[in-house]
Amino acid sequence: MKLEELAIHVIEAAESENVAFMAVGAIAAGAYGIPRSTRDVDLLVGIEMPGAVNSLIRKLSKMVSFDNQVAFDTITWGRRHVGQSRSNPPFKVELFETFDDPFVSSEFSRRVQIYVPMLNRKTWLPTPEDVIVQKLRWGRNKDLDDARDVLAVQGPESLDMSYVEKWCSLHETLPRLREALANIPPLE
Amino acid sequence: MANLHDTPGALQALQADIYREKILQARKLTLEQRLAHVFELSNHQFGMMLSGAMHRVNTQDAEIGWKEVCRWMKRLDKVRDHGFYTTTAPDNQ
Repeated sequence: MKLEELAIHVIEAAESENVAFMAVGAIAAGAYGIPRSTRDVDLLVGIEMPGAVNSLIRKLSKMVSFDNQVAFDTITWGRRHVGQSRSNPPFKVELFETFDDPFVSSEFSRRVQIYVPMLNRKTWLPTPEDVIVQKLRWGRNKDLDDARDVLAVQGPESLDMSYVEKWCSLHETLPRLREALANIPPLE
Repeated sequence: MANLHDTPGALQALQADIYREKILQARKLTLEQRLAHVFELSNHQFGMMLSGAMHRVNTQDAEIGWKEVCRWMKRLDKVRDHGFYTTTAPDNQ
């Protein structure tokens, strides 16, 4: 199986279960920054409909084996469901539930729908500004690289930097933002 | 020929040049093209990992190779997730 086949399956399952979603992680970062490989199809999923996430997990169960136990991230305590494809390669599907967090609510409300030729369908992505804020908030090495790459490829001049700075200030990640900007080489 | 690693300034300049080239190449692509690259790179990466695993465990059997790849990925997940994820719910959940 190829990653795009798994992504199509996950997107179709979310749509059929009426679960609002957007692709996050390396797929979103690669869309706006420098593409890199990943083993994950990561989705941020809405939880407006009770039981919808569990329905989505059941819908995917023929293709993806999910851990029985939900995980929590230790930065925001958001809920994360992790699954692995039943066929090789061992791709992962990670479903992150939306929750009562001002930034998560903001990024989800601002998501944009785009047509992806390789998937032959539309899907939802965060804005580049929200990818940057989210990646700087997480702050792992690959997250910081992704944030810098999105800043570099999109260019601060074409981004809503006041929005980025507002959230970075609230998350106390302005030093990370400044470092990311400083690490972009002159492009002329 | 001088070793670049002996001159940190020259090494940094080379790294900046490589990164600049990556940025400029990515800027030439559309969002859709960059997304396509993510999928292509990911599929290619697993193909390379499978080849490496089969060589590592000295087998011609792809299934055995995939088992080794899975073992690697589980170890990698443990390292990457350490400190970032827990299965213990916070007090308010």
